Amino acid sequence: MTPGLFLLLAAASLVVGMASGPRWPRLWLALTLIGAGAALLAAGLVLFGAPDWEWWSGFPVGGEKLHLRLDGLSALFLVLLATVGGAGTVYAHEYWPDRLYPDSAPRGRFWWSTLLLSLGWVLVSSNGLHFLLGWELFTVSAYFLVTLDRTRRDVRAAGWLYLVASHAGTACLFAFFALLAARTGSWELGPMLREQTGLAPLFWLALAGFGVKAGVFPLHIWLPSAHANAPSHVSAILSGVAVKMGIYGLVRFSGWLPMPAAAGWVVLGLGAVSALLGIAFAMAQNDLKRLLAYCTVENIGIILVGLGAALLGVAQGDAAWGRLALAGALLHVWNHGAFKSLLFLGAGSVLHATGTREMSRLGGLWRVMPWTAGLFALGAVAVSGLPPLNGFVSEWLVYLGLFGAVTGRSAAAWMALPAAIMLAAAGALALATFVKAGAVVFLGAPRTQAAEHAHECGLGMRVPMLTLAGVCVALGLAPGLFWQAISRATGAWHPAWAGAGAPAPLFTLGAVQIILALFAVLAAAWLWSRALANGVRRDLTWDCGYAAPAARMQYTSGSFSGITAGWFGWILRPERLLRRPRGPLPAGATRVERVPETVLEKVILPVGDVVLQASTAVRRLQHGRLQFYVLYVVAGLAAIAALVLTGGVR
Amino acid sequence: MITVLDIVARLALWLVLAPLLPGLINKVKAWVAGRRGPPVLQLYYDLARLWQKGVVMSTLASPGFVAGPAVAWVALLGAAMLLPLGPAGAVFSFHGDVLLLIYLLALARFGTTWAAMETGSAFEGMGAAREVSYAVLAEAAMIAAVLTLSVQTGSISLATMLEPTAGAGAALLAGGLFTVLLAENCRVPFDDPNTHLELTMIHEAMVLDHSGPPLAVILHGAAVKLLLFSVLLTQAVLPMGDLSPLAAAGALAGGVLAVTVGVGAVESLLARFAFRRVPLLLTTAFLLCLFALLVAWRGGAP
Repeated sequence: MTPGLFLLLAAASLVVGMASGPRWPRLWLALTLIGAGAALLAAGLVLFGAPDWEWWSGFPVGGEKLHLRLDGLSALFLVLLATVGGAGTVYAHEYWPDRLYPDSAPRGRFWWSTLLLSLGWVLVSSNGLHFLLGWELFTVSAYFLVTLDRTRRDVRAAGWLYLVASHAGTACLFAFFALLAARTGSWELGPMLREQTGLAPLFWLALAGFGVKAGVFPLHIWLPSAHANAPSHVSAILSGVAVKMGIYGLVRFSGWLPMPAAAGWVVLGLGAVSALLGIAFAMAQNDLKRLLAYCTVENIGIILVGLGAALLGVAQGDAAWGRLALAGALLHVWNHGAFKSLLFLGAGSVLHATGTREMSRLGGLWRVMPWTAGLFALGAVAVSGLPPLNGFVSEWLVYLGLFGAVTGRSAAAWMALPAAIMLAAAGALALATFVKAGAVVFLGAPRTQAAEHAHECGLGMRVPMLTLAGVCVALGLAPGLFWQAISRATGAWHPAWAGAGAPAPLFTLGAVQIILALFAVLAAAWLWSRALANGVRRDLTWDCGYAAPAARMQYTSGSFSGITAGWFGWILRPERLLRRPRGPLPAGATRVERVPETVLEKVILPVGDVVLQASTAVRRLQHGRLQFYVLYVVAGLAAIAALVLTGGVR
Repeated sequence: MITVLDIVARLALWLVLAPLLPGLINKVKAWVAGRRGPPVLQLYYDLARLWQKGVVMSTLASPGFVAGPAVAWVALLGAAMLLPLGPAGAVFSFHGDVLLLIYLLALARFGTTWAAMETGSAFEGMGAAREVSYAVLAEAAMIAAVLTLSVQTGSISLATMLEPTAGAGAALLAGGLFTVLLAENCRVPFDDPNTHLELTMIHEAMVLDHSGPPLAVILHGAAVKLLLFSVLLTQAVLPMGDLSPLAAAGALAGGVLAVTVGVGAVESLLARFAFRRVPLLLTTAFLLCLFALLVAWRGGAP
């Protein structure tokens, strides 16, 4: 069977699922899973050997013939879409059921199928017009998914912000595709565009448009609130796949278009800044899902560092290190999709069980939710980029790219050196962030009643998390097996980087990771059995002899991040409210610390206010009094006459 | 077969020699202060005693309380095995193994801080928060040092990076790496391993609740980490590639000893810094490594 037939099957089952979803949830579940499986097969076939698949329709749609193409790069992202989409579908079935949400659940299923379908459409369409149509449909269906629970004010605000920001990005893309079509005379997209050197400046439009969707640092304003307020399976697909579509666009068009000379430098710089500042913001958050959302900004940064290094590598004579960096970036697309979706689904289970995302109201959940706690811990290790899991493999490849630029003493080293140092600092901060998130939520004593009486999530929510955790482990322990797929994608991006076996160290690294995992498990079992043999006594936590430790005395999320939040205070701009205890018998005292959405609240909103004030001022000219309008016309005519008479216009 | 023997021998070397260093440091400190001090082998006795003891665990702790130290210990030993040992070279090395070493150290940090957070004690939270925060600066300095070495040698593999003669910025690198060593191993002036005031500690505050075999594993792991940093520092700075194997082995042992005595001397002569000055000192270490990097870059192609 060719990939095309599988894609047809996937599309058909998703369309039927879309139609039947609102009515029959079980049928929807089965059909969506079949669709995801078929898409996975199609993409897998292309990645592991089958030739690229291309198809033109004989009939025009919207004035243009359909042109579908599944090459290595689209297939790589399609695998991600199918995996996270499938896991999210199973999760949603239990997490957002008709029983609890009679109103929004049927609607949610419809938009979920639409989202999957339009994402797939964007990935395979090879015509600018159809690409834009799919892009818009995907944006809108994601909006409806974010605002499923629209009775809440902050959900509506988050959805609105998402819609506005997305359309600002889409406007850039409209301009991009329209200019592209105007210059080439056709909406057709493909590698042939690379020959037309005049197209290079268009990349900046693409960078802005796709950058908004990807959440690159100053353009990330929509991302935290949308991810935090959406239902958790939607957060998972937003962070795991939808944000990656921005990356897909950047990778796709940086491969198909001729590149301006500065592109690599700018992308690499943006990536390094996003990585460091994204994780600094994540560390300062007290809302579990907002923390995960900011961490997405960091990971997008890592991917962009890889892409930027690859662009520099191409510009400097197809250096081999560029290929490693690109392979790292593309593998990180998969890795981040797997572990971040796992973490968002874990956060969803916590939210489901306790009703809060506020970490200071949680704690001690491992006792009631051992599965979720264990899987979240695994995701935390992976997202911190630690061996032996998958996050390390892709970060390692990106580092190899950067180090290659340095040891090769190419000009790119001037950017690679600071980027490597910033990545290292970001990695250490990611570790700090996820020790904090995992520990404050799952360890210690429950801080509230809600956390104490939580319950483990059901099988329907556990299975998708287990699947994603399995992906994290497989990609970590056997990275060599997936090299062929990654290599196919790098070849689609730059033909000179196709084929060739995996770099030898990748297999060595895989072997080391397996040994490491094995010994870690053995050592833990050995230590545990030794402790049991010597006798284990359970007693109160030793708080330096204090006999009545209470849950509220524990270190909180805010106190844990205090040191680093201080270092990044110049950009975090935390708002503090302090009322000290006064007098011999103080009635009360408060201390509130909040990290605002700095870029949004301190930059975008003030600018928006100025624009609004200016518009209000200008609006005074429009008041409905006819005599003044006549005056405007006369004044206008007089001005034109003056211009003509003085010879200003010829 | 020979490789297996080699691995076993190295592992044994690391396992057996590591606890010697804290004993030596304590001897140096006692000597400077005019005391007799504890025996050099004190840590060995402590470890043996702890291994026999029962465990008291907080009622709040999950299995991660024991798994964390075990994972950290494996990660530290793994990192140690990656390190070449002077003339004996590395057991195995590959392109980019130095990054694995840095991230294994990070994995160890994850294990110990996670275990510290298990108990819900504010003191341990404090220790863990400090550990992970200061590590941000220490890791930046580490990667700058590693970049220096790879610029000097044109390689990303520990075996070749550490082998040849030290570059022009060796003194800068030594200063930077020594400061990182002090910070990562929680020595004065960053932390005081002897104090009993929990509010002012990092490492000791994290292990307040540990006892018995898990504590033994943590203490042994800390000793391995100290030895690892001393070996790394010595090989990064001393030009050992030019010496005969015997002389190189002697230089390595002498270098490690010198570092150990240096740590003891710093501990005897300095007091612990106030916490707000710690980032300043770490930034200085980072800048030292950065200047070493610039010097190496100016030094021309290898």
